[in-house]
Amino acid sequence: MPGPWTEPPGEKFALEDLEAQAHWQREYHRIVRAIREEMGADLPEAAEGVTGTVGMPLPRNDVLYKVRGRARYAANIKMADMLHCRFVRSEQAHARILRIDTTQAEAVPGVVAVLKGEEIPPDRRLIGTLTQDTPVLAVDKVRFAGEPIVAIAAETPEAAEAACLLVEVDYEPLPVIHSPEEALAADAETIDAEGNVIGDLLHEIGDLEAGLAQADVVLENEYVVESMDHAFLEPPSGLCFLDPEGVLTVLVCTQYPHYHHKQVARVTGLPLEKVRVSQTVVGGAFGGKMDNAVECALALLTLRTGRPTTATLSREEVFTSTTKRHAMTIRQKLGATKDGKLTALDVEVLSDGGAYRSYSMIVGGRCVIHTGMPYRIPNVRSHYVVAFTNYPPAGAMRSFGIVKMAFAMESQMNELAERLGLSPIEVRRRNAMVDDDKTIIGQKLWDVAYHETLDAIEPIYERLRREIAAEPTRNGRKRGIGLASLGYGIGYSGVRNPSTARMYVDAEGQVLACCGTPDIGTGSDMSLAMIAAQSAGISLHRVRVISGDSTKTDDSGPTSASRTTYFSGNAAYICGQDFKRQIEEAVAKARDLPAERVRLEDDRVLVGNDSIGFEEACALIGEGTEEICGYGKFDPDIAMDILKFSGNPYATYTFGTDMVEVEVDEELGQIDVVRAWTAHDAGTVINPVGTEGQIDGGVVMGIGQALWERCVRKDGVIANPHYRDYLMAGAKDVPLEIENTFVENKDRTGPYGAKGVAEVSLIPIPAAIASAVRHASGVWPNHLPMDAEYLYRLIAEARGKPVADAAE
Amino acid sequence: MTQLDISLTVNGARHELSVGPTEMLTEVLRRRLDMTGTNRDCGMGICGACTVLLDGQPVSSCILLAALADGSEITTVEGLERDGRLTAVQEAFLRHGAVQCGYCTPGFVITSTALLEENPSPSREEIVEALKGNLCRCTGYKKIVEAVEAVARAKGDGVGVS
Repeated sequence: MPGPWTEPPGEKFALEDLEAQAHWQREYHRIVRAIREEMGADLPEAAEGVTGTVGMPLPRNDVLYKVRGRARYAANIKMADMLHCRFVRSEQAHARILRIDTTQAEAVPGVVAVLKGEEIPPDRRLIGTLTQDTPVLAVDKVRFAGEPIVAIAAETPEAAEAACLLVEVDYEPLPVIHSPEEALAADAETIDAEGNVIGDLLHEIGDLEAGLAQADVVLENEYVVESMDHAFLEPPSGLCFLDPEGVLTVLVCTQYPHYHHKQVARVTGLPLEKVRVSQTVVGGAFGGKMDNAVECALALLTLRTGRPTTATLSREEVFTSTTKRHAMTIRQKLGATKDGKLTALDVEVLSDGGAYRSYSMIVGGRCVIHTGMPYRIPNVRSHYVVAFTNYPPAGAMRSFGIVKMAFAMESQMNELAERLGLSPIEVRRRNAMVDDDKTIIGQKLWDVAYHETLDAIEPIYERLRREIAAEPTRNGRKRGIGLASLGYGIGYSGVRNPSTARMYVDAEGQVLACCGTPDIGTGSDMSLAMIAAQSAGISLHRVRVISGDSTKTDDSGPTSASRTTYFSGNAAYICGQDFKRQIEEAVAKARDLPAERVRLEDDRVLVGNDSIGFEEACALIGEGTEEICGYGKFDPDIAMDILKFSGNPYATYTFGTDMVEVEVDEELGQIDVVRAWTAHDAGTVINPVGTEGQIDGGVVMGIGQALWERCVRKDGVIANPHYRDYLMAGAKDVPLEIENTFVENKDRTGPYGAKGVAEVSLIPIPAAIASAVRHASGVWPNHLPMDAEYLYRLIAEARGKPVADAAE
Repeated sequence: MTQLDISLTVNGARHELSVGPTEMLTEVLRRRLDMTGTNRDCGMGICGACTVLLDGQPVSSCILLAALADGSEITTVEGLERDGRLTAVQEAFLRHGAVQCGYCTPGFVITSTALLEENPSPSREEIVEALKGNLCRCTGYKKIVEAVEAVARAKGDGVGVS
């Protein structure tokens, strides 16, 4: 069914017309050029562009639209005849659905379509990432409060909202499972047809008991981490319409348009070529825009009504229905000799997977693989159990669980240092992974610069220790410092996840670079353009990027797991080389020269003894430019036996060490992080502005998780579904002094030596803060968040003071 | 429902509108005037993504009834640029990496612009105080504060700013 609706004008990042875009592109390049000149570059008068930009702190192209309010977020796109979709969501955490009556809703003026799950053919009702277990709309059972049951499309959002309130759902309540402990009880109510266990993963190396027996010190602790929300600022939003060729087109904020492409095709029963999913500007994701939010319902309503349909979740819906970070309890034993050599590690994780599987198994697998990172430990046992509960599904979130594993591991490393009278840097050095070490699943490492991150932090640590020894309090608050480290595998765990890129050129010399991994706000399009341009030998200003579109780009995997700079960057590099070769061959053909006498570099083509500009070269190639298509594919040999946990699960690893200074107000139980320092082995830094931004943002998200953020789960609901009670850091709550160091290193397998860095700075922060609190106040926090009430009690109990029971 | 006739001057252009008694300014800007630069998020006046200038003062437009803005001058992020050039604040946000996903950016740009109008050389504490009503999830705030400081410095040095 073709529609009369064409995609609204504008490009991925810009809502405005082409003429305005062209003007602002010139403005952008004027600013880039000014920055290059300020940096001391000697640019020829006539040159518009710049070449060889890898490593330069350049502003991002898309930001030009963002600072002017012209960014094309999905909720900003308007179409004629557009309908507005809203959802009826479960009020029950766990219940059978006895009856859904939509009669009154259908009678609301302006309502055009009311969709129930039972109207979707049974074989198309379920969606999901690894396992298709999640109904687009619940049919006979709901598993969490907030689960969608009915989708309504109406002429106005108000009519859709009014209609939603008139849908009657009769439930038969079932016992609610509040925790994984309850889920695993013998007589527990079953949430899923296959039982309450989502995954039970075990990996062992060496001989744990022997390792513990060798130890002079064995630490045994329990760490509890509560669930948190991604709290990206842009609520999930999308717009769906039938284009003139009858292609069902979904414009949506997502981390993985190609996944949604396949899901929408499956749910609608349309062939893949009749569905297009294109990513809009994403207002933050952090793992929370991997799963279906609005896509499938919009597709079904558009097919039902024949009209464009849009939906944007409310902030409350984001908190109650999108995926969350897994709540976890980690019981851990760490053994070491008295000179600080680790002999054994025993980790037992119980994780709350929420109501559906989402990325639970991927988070679990990653946690097992990373057990004990980044240290050499000969005897390890890692057991990870994740179970269903009746809370929103737990899914992917920045670091896929490793921030919690690191909270336990790094806290024990700090405790070990204290017990042995060693500095936390020294105890790490004695166990730190280096080149040719093997991870617990047998992958041999290369280009590891973890030691260098410790070296970078050490002088700051020593200086601050002395400063605080001399002045242990400031404004009546106790001062402390703490540090922690990380090792993190880049990309998917244990399965191939190739990325590809293509480059085209026209006779005017305009270059289009296409890559499937979307820019989710990190600036990856900019980094990929820098890599592609430099690899091809052309100026950055020529390269326009299209990313994250199921029709215009190949499936290059999602932007997640810190993989885009590394995987897609490699694809862009290979693609640039191929493009350069094709240009050289085409010019050689046009000039009747052997190909080796033509060279493209610094945006000029050396032809025999002549040198011509790139545009002139493209004019010379003329119509032949249509045949030029640079192509690059990066597909490292990643292979892992998931049952045995052996093999090479990652293409490379990033390492780092973070340190924080805190001030503790013991009267209030309040922790203030006043300064932070980071040192990362990120390989080559492609764009320092972007990379530092990722590090700063990760530090602050880590502070949020450590100190305030939690989804309060009470009686089967998220009790704080808004920013008023879900406490997130503002500018007043965080350190503005964050000093970032990138240690000298090049990854031989990365584009220009780069590794991935987007998630990592977050990982050590909670453990670093816990250690700083220990330094300041003498207590070891083992719970996240360490909010004021928790810390107040912990300190009071440690001092033997009575603590009044807080009101529930 | 009763409709109320109001008049708003938005980015210098006057609009006569008939609005509902519960209609918020964000919705009027976004839906009626097609000015989508003002983003909507929490709907509770907490995150600051919807910040606009109401007679020069930054306000959360998601909790301001449009009817209450009758007769006021509104400036949105779209109304800042002049003659195809960015303002000093916008250019500083671009140069200093103060923007990642950008959803909070219009709010920060508006709030920072109002601060610098009122106080051309704010201290770091004053900047942070002014920005406390705007949430950002990506940047960690450091580069945002640095961008505002850079504009203040340039003003102090007598460098031309709009």
